[in-house]
Amino acid sequence: MSSKLEILNALKLSALTNHPMPSIDVAPRGDNLIGQFETNLNTVAGTLHKEGGLIALQAKVDELIAQGLQVISLVDGVTANREVPPTAHELKDIDYAVIPGDIGVAENGAIWVNNKNLGHRVTPFICENLILALPANKIVPNMHQAAKEITLDVGEFGVFIAGPSKTADIEQALVVGAHGACSLNVYLL
Amino acid sequence: MAYNHNHEASQGSQNHAHKADIFCRDETRVDWHSKALWMLREKRDRAAGSIPEWEQLRQLGSEIKLHTLTHLAQYLETFEQNCIANSIQVHWAKDGAEHNRIVHEILARHKVKKLVKSKSMLTEECHLNPYLEQRGIEVIDTDLGERIIQLAKMPPSHIVVPAIHMKKEEVGELFHELLGTKAGESDPLYLTRAARAHLREKFLTADAAMTGVNMAIADKGAVVVCTNEGNADMGANLPKLQLHSMGIDKVVPDVDSAAVLLRTLARNATGQPVTTYSAFYRGPQPEGEMHIIIVDNGRTEMLKDKILAESLKCIRCGGCLNTCPVYRRSGGYSYNYTIPGPIGIAVGAKIDDTNSIAWACTLCGSCTYICPTKVPLDKIIFHHRRLKAEAGKLPYGKNSYMPLVGKFMASETMLNCSMSVARTALRILPGSLLKPFSGAWGKYRELPVAPNSSFEAWFKKHRSL
Repeated sequence: MSSKLEILNALKLSALTNHPMPSIDVAPRGDNLIGQFETNLNTVAGTLHKEGGLIALQAKVDELIAQGLQVISLVDGVTANREVPPTAHELKDIDYAVIPGDIGVAENGAIWVNNKNLGHRVTPFICENLILALPANKIVPNMHQAAKEITLDVGEFGVFIAGPSKTADIEQALVVGAHGACSLNVYLL
Repeated sequence: MAYNHNHEASQGSQNHAHKADIFCRDETRVDWHSKALWMLREKRDRAAGSIPEWEQLRQLGSEIKLHTLTHLAQYLETFEQNCIANSIQVHWAKDGAEHNRIVHEILARHKVKKLVKSKSMLTEECHLNPYLEQRGIEVIDTDLGERIIQLAKMPPSHIVVPAIHMKKEEVGELFHELLGTKAGESDPLYLTRAARAHLREKFLTADAAMTGVNMAIADKGAVVVCTNEGNADMGANLPKLQLHSMGIDKVVPDVDSAAVLLRTLARNATGQPVTTYSAFYRGPQPEGEMHIIIVDNGRTEMLKDKILAESLKCIRCGGCLNTCPVYRRSGGYSYNYTIPGPIGIAVGAKIDDTNSIAWACTLCGSCTYICPTKVPLDKIIFHHRRLKAEAGKLPYGKNSYMPLVGKFMASETMLNCSMSVARTALRILPGSLLKPFSGAWGKYRELPVAPNSSFEAWFKKHRSL
């Protein structure tokens, strides 16, 4: 008998009685979504730029490039100095990656990113610093709404990103910048 | 090194009290450990308190997990079918040995020499690392806490913060010795940056990556992996081969269910509103290969017992460890099982050959009270004591004296006589003579002042007034 069959057969001996699926109906907090989002983004060590949209973002990218930094942009309308390379590993010296975010979540400051907009899946993790561009009208109150709106088609990869990478594994001291990006700036479009 | 006594406690199988004694030799460290964990509990309370629907989410979490567990075969099969449709290869392992064999076969087929791993309590449970290392594969744990203990050659002492028992000076000493950081340097930022540079090189040269699974989404055929450091996603998205190990209990029906658990997981673990990265893998990267290994390893056995079954609702947030008065003061190495604390007792007591960890609990119920999926931990632990008694495996000689205590307490005359003797003894004999009879109880306590009469006598007198 295959292990799969053995496991499925063993499950028939479960002592638990059938429990129905509960209906998930949690009242959202719909007021001041951008304000809530900003507060929680700050909590997770990210920074929000509410004014200026794409123009402010392009100005920031130009400034970074002028400093001699390596910047890659996957946002339409923002040009940088690096293209998507053939292999993921070649992204290792990227200082800043500029990536479109699909959905923002007010209750925790997380932003959904889908692999269609990443070039390589590793882009938002391997870059030294991350910039996400998020349409202001794409902020939802909580994870229940976000679950309804995110795209994750067959074979795809997607990720909620809430702030820069961090750790508190040494004596509970919070250190921003573990293995992923060391900073996160979010530009509202 | 200074943490040698921790090292000693992490080895071999000895009863909880003995190992806790080793941990308690350094009293200031115990206080520090307890305080560090209580800080996490306080952060958790603030995060939970900031969500008005917190109790509703706990109830939903509990019911979603219960529903899935009672329809597990159906959800696992749906999950497998959907994975296959996403070009994910699914394997089934009935125990740890089979899991390790499957993992090694996949790695060997791809001639993998270097494997980067993110945190997975399941692979700890299966003892995968030594298995692969014996077969010539370099295994690199990439979570900072896990890397620290891997370098120190110790097991995790906590499921979320695995190096919680180590002080920064000890980490500094370890990194100086093995990673070449400056001697005497113990600043967490400096040490973390050093680990980042050291592990970056490993990520970029790894042949394969492996992660645990926080949730497996049945209707999508996707796995969700949560980290704060980004190590799971740095790993899984660089080499073309990715492996994910999951217990059969990790499956949930859909993304809506996962969203409920994502709302409580990090809040209950560390007080964060959500983990930095909650990554959804619904297939391999282009030209890549993705494998999922579904593991039983005793879980179906647990499901056969109605009370023990509920421990499978656990989402491994570690909240019950942080709040546990016994864990905080006895350390993660005192449990004779990979997972310590209340949840460790719940899932590990059965195979605990010292038959003692079920008693490493005051039954205060704090763990049950804070659990995000309402695992009735105190009830499960109490149940384990009953199971041990029924199997004739009571610890510390409880087997021989407990029946006598029972008979003794049941006899009114014997009890009254002896209590009267005890009261007199407490009044007239010196404490130094009596103290040894109080055993471990008296170690940090003074003997009570004896009342003049028994409660029964007092009650009779006052009721007659």
